[in-house]
Amino acid sequence: MSDLGYAVDALAQWLAGSGKPGWFAVLLAAITVWVLPMLLVIFPIASLGQIFERKIAAAIQRRVGPNSVGLDGPLRFAFRMLLCFLPRTTQDKAFATFTNLPGIRQFLRIAKSLGLGQLAADGVKMLGKEDLIPAGADGIVFRLAPYLALTGAFLPFCVVPFAHHLVMLEVPVGALYAIAASGVTVMALKMAGWGSGSKWSMLGGMRAVAQLVSYEIPVGLAVAGVVLWCGTMDLHAIVGQQYHSGVFSLLGWNLLQSPFLLLLACVLFFGGLAECQRTPFDMAEAESELVSGFNIEYSGLRWGMFAMAEYTEMLLVGSLVATLFLGGYQSPIGEQWLVSLPVAIETLLHITIFILKVLASFLLMMWIRWTLPRFRVDQVMRLCWLTLVPLCLLSLLGIAVTMLAGGGAEMGEAYGRLPARLQPQLGTTGHLLGWAIPLAIGIVVVRIARKRHGQVHPALQRLTGGGA
Amino acid sequence: MTIEATTPSGERMILNMGPHHPATHGVLRIVVESDGEVVANCTPDHGYLHRSIEKIGECVEWQMFVPYTDRIDYVCAMNANLAYCVGVEQLLRSDPGTAVQVPFRAECIRVLVAELNRISSHMIAVGAMAMDVGAVTPFLHSIAQREMVNDIFEKLCGQRLTYNYITVGGVAYDLTPGAPDEIASFLNTFEKEMVRFNKLITTNTIFRDRCASVAVVTSDEAIAWGLVGPNLRGSGVDWDLRRDEPYGIYGQLAVRVPFGERFAGRHGAVGDCYDRYIVRLLEVQESVRLCREVLKLLPPPAPKATDQTGGFQADVKKQLARPPKGEMYSRTEAPRGEMGYFIVSDGTKVPYRVRCRTGSFSAAGIFHHVMKGIFLADVVAVIGSFDVVVPEIDR
Amino acid sequence: MSALSFAELCERVHARWPAVEAKRSDNGQPFLLVPATELVALVQWLRSDRELRFDALSDLTGYDLMKYPATPPSDAIAVVYVLFSYVQKHKLMLRVLAPRAACVVPSVSFLWPAALYFEREVWDLLGVHFDGHPTLLRIMTPQDWVGHPLRKDYIYPSEYHGVPHLREGQHFEHVPQREGDAVKAAPTAPAAPAKGAPPA
Repeated sequence: MSDLGYAVDALAQWLAGSGKPGWFAVLLAAITVWVLPMLLVIFPIASLGQIFERKIAAAIQRRVGPNSVGLDGPLRFAFRMLLCFLPRTTQDKAFATFTNLPGIRQFLRIAKSLGLGQLAADGVKMLGKEDLIPAGADGIVFRLAPYLALTGAFLPFCVVPFAHHLVMLEVPVGALYAIAASGVTVMALKMAGWGSGSKWSMLGGMRAVAQLVSYEIPVGLAVAGVVLWCGTMDLHAIVGQQYHSGVFSLLGWNLLQSPFLLLLACVLFFGGLAECQRTPFDMAEAESELVSGFNIEYSGLRWGMFAMAEYTEMLLVGSLVATLFLGGYQSPIGEQWLVSLPVAIETLLHITIFILKVLASFLLMMWIRWTLPRFRVDQVMRLCWLTLVPLCLLSLLGIAVTMLAGGGAEMGEAYGRLPARLQPQLGTTGHLLGWAIPLAIGIVVVRIARKRHGQVHPALQRLTGGGA
Repeated sequence: MTIEATTPSGERMILNMGPHHPATHGVLRIVVESDGEVVANCTPDHGYLHRSIEKIGECVEWQMFVPYTDRIDYVCAMNANLAYCVGVEQLLRSDPGTAVQVPFRAECIRVLVAELNRISSHMIAVGAMAMDVGAVTPFLHSIAQREMVNDIFEKLCGQRLTYNYITVGGVAYDLTPGAPDEIASFLNTFEKEMVRFNKLITTNTIFRDRCASVAVVTSDEAIAWGLVGPNLRGSGVDWDLRRDEPYGIYGQLAVRVPFGERFAGRHGAVGDCYDRYIVRLLEVQESVRLCREVLKLLPPPAPKATDQTGGFQADVKKQLARPPKGEMYSRTEAPRGEMGYFIVSDGTKVPYRVRCRTGSFSAAGIFHHVMKGIFLADVVAVIGSFDVVVPEIDR
Repeated sequence: MSALSFAELCERVHARWPAVEAKRSDNGQPFLLVPATELVALVQWLRSDRELRFDALSDLTGYDLMKYPATPPSDAIAVVYVLFSYVQKHKLMLRVLAPRAACVVPSVSFLWPAALYFEREVWDLLGVHFDGHPTLLRIMTPQDWVGHPLRKDYIYPSEYHGVPHLREGQHFEHVPQREGDAVKAAPTAPAAPAKGAPPA
């Protein structure tokens, strides 16, 4: 049981007083300890993601982006609310005193130039919008879909280790659970598409389902590769496996263990991109084709839930990539000293490192989104079934061969919570060979493919600045 | 890429695309009969932007119709002005008594602004096509270049969209003293920007694969369906009015004409969306070259506006008050292809009939033919690749 | 293979189609005046003949001759075909006069699909019925529009589906003021109410 599990037990016990805690006490304790903090952490990060995205998009498009909505308004509003029992002049005086504190004015100016208040403005706008339900919609299905989307996005976070002492659930089949739980989203998108009673949203829903169901296979296979390598499905144990006692603790990360794992990391990332409907896989909402796809009929808060679910899913993909391949919450340098720090500091640092890793994926996703065009239906499917799935199978084979060549690991011991590494003890030569052989083959294959299909029309060369 | 559009049940869904749809570039409505993701049939519905411009032409005086030509194609209003003015001048020339001689400097300025406007119009075309295919960023980069051209035009004539600059007999205002240098420096930066733009989207594999072999129009088809301009050249027909039926001073310039050559490579076909797109980009390069050539030819301004070399406007008041009775069909090469004017005069100061034949109109005519059997996602790519501008269809 | 001049084209056409007249407009623009009955056979031949090869219909339009100061005066609708050959690079203009009363001209859309849209436009704006066109619907105006706006005797409707187009008391018979007209209205006044016909 995780440390948080004990906390839940303790709180439930305290709530119940003496005797065995009833189900209600347990539920209340679980909500307090698990759900509320998670919502309080993930919601702000996901909302920050939106403003992040706007700024990044602006930078890529050589615009300024949000630049004039500051935090003055929200702060003044907060003062008014907090001091609502006092006369208005006092409220204003308190606010003035606050803004005169050293640094506050500067902060507000910077916040304004960064457009940080846009977040609050958007939130208020979203809350204020009319909640429209089309006449032809299937009421229950239409209403249920956003909640389900949000559920599907949040559930997998239960098993993601945020820090060594901060895991909500340690499930022996955590990896499997994460994939299964995120599958709820498919249902939500389908319901939204169907329940809206609009042809455009139905097309979007159909596309979403076809895409999500297909891409669960490469994603599942990518996770299976890691499971094969680590010999466990427990995400916390997988992170533990990647511990390396040297100065450069990133040498222990799965990403650097084998080229096949690197390949799988890419597959997981791109599969994840498809799972959360981001460009170039945004067929389901394709604004230039389907106007807005499955969520076309949604407005206000319901639409906001879909948006939030999308960003949460992006965070989820980032978390999974970080957990499975980038050593989870571990620091890239000097993890061994980090674990010797006091628990509170260690946890804080772990969370920070984890969030940074997730943000890295997040940034990459945005960069891709604002650069690439969108795939077509057939291309999305071809990419999945004819490229990603074979690559995954090849990588699984490669990992198995590497493990056999390295002497194999005691697979049976992998189950249960084990701090020790269970990976094949390849040694330096084995490691180098494990990288060199597949890389050489890969380079040869790419070269041949380039020679065959890489001819570019001279006119295109001229357009891109080359040629005569 | 054509897929047989039948399912066992044969069920079809009617999708109403437009008139308000993000990808229809204005108010174009297409009723799509789809079989899942595949388009089985489509029927364009026009007229949402009909402003009876041809009827207005029968009510206003010759020179007063120029602002209306702006509204025929507001994406390249200079070329629309030019097409009408060239038509009227040809009508006047058909009678020696009323022939007008446009000053050489005015001819140079006309070519200059027409080519600059061609650049800015093609910037919209390629940017919008990239956006239709799902890439938003290239559109903003290309529209930034259009803004540069608009800045130049604003200094020239005070307008950014509907210029009303070219008049019968010349242009409305002379170039501002600094304009040639400004244009030259814009052309330099523009070329560099285009290389960046092309690296960003044109050679992008996803973009190429989205456009390759989509809506292929063979050269015979293109001719029979009356396609003109880049759409015709995209199908591999080597024809450009600027070179083959020169008007103005285009005869003195060496116009090189790009045409479709299966730019997408192995997976492409001559006359697919990618060819039409690339032809536009190559035309932009050509326009840059033409602008530079014209800047060299540009004579210094003369103190008198009607001067035959350095002036910018011939006096045509007398000729337009009593134009020859009769008719004239003239055509010029606008960014969206041949812009033909059929002008009938009954000898009065008001045209008897003004007919404008536009490239988008015939391009819209081929939609229902090429959109059979393509994917729904390609519909927007096809609209983008033909670069239809709705006011030009509906007029 | 080279472009043929109008005279050479005429010669070849006349040899086979004596009913086709070579004419010139008032300002000397040459065209062939084709009887409507012979149009289809002629254009088929023009398109397929190896020397002529008119593979493109550049434009198809028309105008109302009602107020045109022609001699002799006519009230027919002139339908103008601009043919062009991308192979031979020559151009030819055809004209068919459709009488106002029975305004029917055979369609050429089966030869040049470009005519599908052009003919719809001419039908919509000038009211020339193209016989054999598969979908001869209005293209610019709404399907339930009354009248053909580019005809010179077109009367502007005062309302459309209950939406008035004119201010109260305003009449507008669309006849632009021409120099030859008897009444010359002041340039600012829309039209003299007394002269205006009541809206249809």
